[in-house]
Amino acid sequence: MDIAFLTIAELSRLYDRRELSPVEVTRALLDRIAVHDDKLHAFIRTTPEIALREAELAERELMAGNRRGKLHGIPYALKDIVETAGIPTTGHSKLRQHHVPAADAHLVTLLKQSGAILMGKLATWEFALGGPSYDLPWPPARNPWNTDHLPGGSSSGAGAAVAAGFVPAAIGTDTGGSIRGPAAFCGIAGLKPTYGRVSRRGVFPNTFTMDHCGPLTRSAADSATMLQVIAGFDPDDPGSEDCPVPDYAAGLDGGIKGMRLGLVEGWHTSAGAHPDLTTAIDATIGVLERLGAAVEPVKLSSLRDYTDCKTTLSIAELYAIHERDLRTRPQDFGRVLRNRVLPGALIRAEDYVQAQRWRTVLAREQAMALKRVDAFVTAGALTIADRADPNNPDRLISSPSITMPFSVGGLPAMTLPCGFSRAEGLPLSLQIAAAPFAEATVLRIAHAYQQATDWHRRHPILV
Amino acid sequence: MRDDLSHLPPATPDEIRALVERAGLDLPEDLLRQFIAVWPGFEAMVRRIPRGRGYADEPAHTYRPTRVVRG
Repeated sequence: MDIAFLTIAELSRLYDRRELSPVEVTRALLDRIAVHDDKLHAFIRTTPEIALREAELAERELMAGNRRGKLHGIPYALKDIVETAGIPTTGHSKLRQHHVPAADAHLVTLLKQSGAILMGKLATWEFALGGPSYDLPWPPARNPWNTDHLPGGSSSGAGAAVAAGFVPAAIGTDTGGSIRGPAAFCGIAGLKPTYGRVSRRGVFPNTFTMDHCGPLTRSAADSATMLQVIAGFDPDDPGSEDCPVPDYAAGLDGGIKGMRLGLVEGWHTSAGAHPDLTTAIDATIGVLERLGAAVEPVKLSSLRDYTDCKTTLSIAELYAIHERDLRTRPQDFGRVLRNRVLPGALIRAEDYVQAQRWRTVLAREQAMALKRVDAFVTAGALTIADRADPNNPDRLISSPSITMPFSVGGLPAMTLPCGFSRAEGLPLSLQIAAAPFAEATVLRIAHAYQQATDWHRRHPILV
Repeated sequence: MRDDLSHLPPATPDEIRALVERAGLDLPEDLLRQFIAVWPGFEAMVRRIPRGRGYADEPAHTYRPTRVVRG
């Protein structure tokens, strides 16, 4: 039994049978991190004392038969823009290098109540946008499948840590694809919930109108378990929606027979897409059809349109967040972040409002299409993970994003592995998105796909 | 035909310098030069935003008063 790659569900079963304990698991994972993270840089800091204290408490409670839920005794880690009381929360930036929050983010409170075990804080692109950067106090995370490559971003440490078997689950954030991208590039599952489904309180903002928090795990079923704990209304988050939280595990095994899935035309075959992607998506569609779904083409606006709309909104909001520091200490930003945020100074008010009006149109076209199909399917990323090269061009403007459309729509969307590139042996990914608050539908499709395939059971070998 | 601003000529380096100054930024010369190099990509993006909306077309961030008082 390799503790490193047990899922949340498997760990829970072993705890139930008293075949494994939270302390054993926590120690094993801390040891693994100590051995391998000098090559991956997934963690900005581990919190071993806290982890072992929480593991001992979980063990005592479980042994006494006081089980809090499925996350009780399960190790996890947090992207370092999620505030943790008494533990530095840096945003992977010199600007907040010594920032120690007084309070936990709302979702951290929920995870503590669930009995989950915090293992540490994870690398991110600077303030969840500026990356990969090589001029920050900490190096960028690397991809466990090949450390010459990056794990994507901005939840880069989260993607690397889960794929590497450091933790079975992590919390990331996603504004334009920052959960789904790293999940796609690292061969794991990443879920961006509906906008307003998970509280953003205590999470450093990127784009107020598009920020989401969500899980990165190795299976869709584990994502359902994580979401169950962190989802829900928070009156102190102005973006939070007061909408009932269903039992996400209840429908997981329902299958997809009779579902109608819309394959978005032209997206995964865009210019610059990896040559193996079409074959992988074709094979994925074949699997979904054999499981009983009807897959039909769906036409949406171009990736370029969605990317232009999202990026215009983001840089305007980002500039408002960082304006004071850009005026007073611009040299303390990493080069990538500074050059992505400064353009916001030149966005005019009418540009921002016209982009918001465009967002309404684009979100509406998705809603209309979702009257005909239960979910969209497309690729989770157009390429494999980039090589780690400080001279790489900035992709934010040059390459349209295949994750941003569902950020614009605020829809629940998930990426999960659907193959590997032949030449490089790096993960390729599927993306599923559904109507607002239909996370259960996304998870059900993803789970059905993972029951029929074994891509998610492949793991990198760390040397 | 799309109603956007793509037909406008790109801003010159001097115009970018003036816009940065009017935004209240006082960047060191090396950082300003970096910005002048990246701005054209962003400028082209912003100019691709469609402009010809109907008078009453709402933006996506319509104000909801209960959102700001309930916290």
